Amino acid sequence: MARQKASFSERMFSALVRIFPFDFQTNYAGEMAGVFREQRREAEERGGIAGLARLWAETLAGIFRTAPREHWEILKQDCVYAFRMMRKNLGFTIIAILTLTLGIGANTAIFSVVDAVLLKPLPYPHGEQLIFVRQQAPKIGMDDLGFSVLEINDYRQQNHTLSNLVEYHTMSFTLFGHGEPERIRTGVVSWNYFDMFGIKPILGRAFSAADEQMGAPAVLLLSYEYWKNSFHADPSIVGKTFEMNDKVHTVIGVLPPVPQYPDENEAYMPTVACPFRGSKMMMEGRDHRMMEVFARVKPGVSLLQAKADLSTIAGHLQSEYPKFYPAETGYGVASSPLREQMTQGARPTLVVLLAAAGFVLLIACANVANLTLSRMARRERELAVRTALGAGRSRLLRQLLTESFILASLGGAMGLLLAYDSLGLLTHFAARLTPRANEIHLDIGVLAFTLAAALGVSVVAGTLSAIAARHGLSLTLKEGSAGAGHQRNFMRSVLIVAQVAFSFVLLIGAGLMLRSLYRMLQVNPGFIPQRVLAMRLTFNWSKHKTGEEIALQAKQVIERARTEPDVLSAAISSTYPLEPELLSAGQSTTTFDIEGHPRQSGEPPLTTNVASASPDYFKTLGIPLLRGRVFADTDDQKSLQVVVINEAMQKHYFLNEDPIGKRLTPNEGKDWVTIVGVVGDVRELGLDRAPAVEVYAPVAQNADARTLLVRTVVDPLALANRLRRAVHDVDPDIAISHIRSVEDARNQSLETPRLTASLLGLFAGLALLIAVAGIGGIMALSVSQRIREIGIRITLGAQPSGILRMVVGQGMLLAMLGVGIGFVGALAITRVLKSLLFEVTPTDPATFVGVAVVLIGAALIATLVPAHRAASVDPNVALRCE
Amino acid sequence: MKKKDAEPYLPLTPAMFHILLALADGEKHGYAILKEVARRTDGKVQLSAGTLYGNLARLEGSGMILESNHRPEFGLDDERRRYYLLTDFGREVAMAEARRMQEAVEQAYAKKLFRKPEVV
Repeated sequence: MARQKASFSERMFSALVRIFPFDFQTNYAGEMAGVFREQRREAEERGGIAGLARLWAETLAGIFRTAPREHWEILKQDCVYAFRMMRKNLGFTIIAILTLTLGIGANTAIFSVVDAVLLKPLPYPHGEQLIFVRQQAPKIGMDDLGFSVLEINDYRQQNHTLSNLVEYHTMSFTLFGHGEPERIRTGVVSWNYFDMFGIKPILGRAFSAADEQMGAPAVLLLSYEYWKNSFHADPSIVGKTFEMNDKVHTVIGVLPPVPQYPDENEAYMPTVACPFRGSKMMMEGRDHRMMEVFARVKPGVSLLQAKADLSTIAGHLQSEYPKFYPAETGYGVASSPLREQMTQGARPTLVVLLAAAGFVLLIACANVANLTLSRMARRERELAVRTALGAGRSRLLRQLLTESFILASLGGAMGLLLAYDSLGLLTHFAARLTPRANEIHLDIGVLAFTLAAALGVSVVAGTLSAIAARHGLSLTLKEGSAGAGHQRNFMRSVLIVAQVAFSFVLLIGAGLMLRSLYRMLQVNPGFIPQRVLAMRLTFNWSKHKTGEEIALQAKQVIERARTEPDVLSAAISSTYPLEPELLSAGQSTTTFDIEGHPRQSGEPPLTTNVASASPDYFKTLGIPLLRGRVFADTDDQKSLQVVVINEAMQKHYFLNEDPIGKRLTPNEGKDWVTIVGVVGDVRELGLDRAPAVEVYAPVAQNADARTLLVRTVVDPLALANRLRRAVHDVDPDIAISHIRSVEDARNQSLETPRLTASLLGLFAGLALLIAVAGIGGIMALSVSQRIREIGIRITLGAQPSGILRMVVGQGMLLAMLGVGIGFVGALAITRVLKSLLFEVTPTDPATFVGVAVVLIGAALIATLVPAHRAASVDPNVALRCE
Repeated sequence: MKKKDAEPYLPLTPAMFHILLALADGEKHGYAILKEVARRTDGKVQLSAGTLYGNLARLEGSGMILESNHRPEFGLDDERRRYYLLTDFGREVAMAEARRMQEAVEQAYAKKLFRKPEVV
């Protein structure tokens, strides 16, 4: 019994001694165990169990006091030594720190975006229960049909898996009573919309069920941003009244700063206050769909169960109202977690950028290890002496780790500053991809990531150099420095090959993005965006209630705008191509049947966007007329209802016939519209999206008049103020917003691919620079190590050209190997870029060949310098040098 | 070798001072040092193994003690034991520390904090 206890105590003690530094253990562990054994025996003899307990207390205290001090002493020595070495090798230090700054900075910056957008839970309580529900008709290309009032009621009443189901749509209304009439984007929501998200107003109250009763006083909730920017965060805003849609609206509260999805709205109102949703047509039309639906799944119910539940309801609706849910459209209901819905646009780009930044960091790691190795060639003797003097290997490893940790910490600290500095740009960038961009911050999580990156770098770089040092040292001590040098050069070569391979992959990524961007810039948008001014107009709907009145006012605005000097033509339309708001919100669609084209069973109907356009719309945007005519002033409510179609529609539906004079019906023959012209295709929804089938109707017959477009002879923005006055000359109640040139809109649509390409290009450029400098460096070192050998070769009759070829050949071998490995890696990896590319395949041969040529060319130039030096070695000098 | 100055090492920690004292009358191994310290202080100073070897490492590193080549007669020796001896420099530091303490005590007498013990 006693014996067993004894051995346990001693084993415990031996285990504890392991927390001392390795060298200390080597020196003293055995002796300490011996002393402890004697102490234990004596303690037990004198005091029994109590004596043993006392001994353990003292022993533990002694160990935990002494061991940290020993570690601290070593760390102090290593730091002093490391700083001395860094001062002595200032060039090395600066290059290493800069490389790491860029590597860690890039990673920290991108990670802060990934963390906020993809990793963090939604900033709503139990955000994982929130889902986005949509009705789909995949066979007619409709990913999101929207919901009608009747459908919302059906889904709300018939489901068993949702604790809440709320609706949303957004409209722009004109707000009076706050300076100039202001057009504000207003979210129209169920009364319990914010309760479902768990959002509580920071001022005032949220909507209540009473606010949604018919005839309830109209109320508004303001978004945090709107309250801050337009009302200077006025704390007494609650209770203020504004006029909107002919009604007095009272502000009842202000929302906190939360990501707004699907749109950034200035204000919110309950459903009953929206004049459009409240119309008889909307309330009773099963297929009048304009709402989005969000829901919260009951606790304990899985997403799959909720999906099944919703599908059952869809099935019921389909069998009950087959007319509204034609089977040939592929009607169904889908739901996805809100978080996925909010971030899916950002995911591919962010994943690619994070991977690219990761590659840069790996290259930076290899670079630091490489620099350490080349420096070690010069430190060889010193390290050998230190080893001979009794510094154990683990002691050397520790020293090297400390050195690389100091470098990485400095790089990390500077990288953090770099990341902090680039946060504004990145937030702006991310805002184009996701509504979660305003959650991007440098917080504890990001700091931890930076620290982990710095630690990772120091472990990788330190270990790499320690492995090489270990081999090198044993060889140095055994055989002199030649063997060690070779060993180390081999290690460096491996690192260089890896760097070239990683650089190749990054360059391919950047090259593909650049080619894709170039293709987008080259693509014919179908219109001439230069020198066109666009401004959003919101007519006072309560003053001009009929389409006729709106059309008349639109005509007056066009006529007034035309009288301005420098104006070539003016038009009013519903939207314009590549309008940023259009790109984010998408288009609404109408379903048509074509006269004389009976649908085959199972064939989906023609579903398309109907754009309103005044006669000069096509002229103003430079859209060519291909057949027939465009609209004329005589096309009005009293005349024949006409439309103009685009080329894509002609090709799809009228391949072998003249479409002019053909008729379309949106409501099974009740109303007919006649095709009078065919115009060129326009890339409405993005330069990277093929033109879809398009139908244009005259504003005078389809009064969706929201945009004034003006073609000018001078810089269009210079005319903005004059045109604003011109519009207000017609009616001061018209709200004006979103003034920009159409060319700006086009450029804005390219901003995401352009930034992605720039970031990838930046990363790839860095990688190329580091890798090429690495090749040049290793060849220079190898030449200086082999100077005697080269001297002998020349003495024995080798030609300088032969020496040149030899050195270049060795450098190129490394480059080729790296390119070869990178080639295979890139073939495997660039697939992730697919969703970001336009008209370029991820294995685009031209990019692969081009990048290989650039990389090998750069490597060639880098090796020429040391090769030239080798070729011009003077054998007399070379043979004398040691 | 250049003679080292004792001053920067002062004051010594009590453990260090006791170890130097223990080695003043001859070389000893670790456990013997521990016993000697405990005996001389009537058990008031009990060094643990960790504290002892931490201090031995420090003293060895600063040249105050050395590992002795001398081994006891065969049979009495435990080969895991190492013997330590006081170097001249160690002796000098110990003396300097003793003097420092003595001066402090003298000052306490001068301030009449307590009386000098009678010399018997």
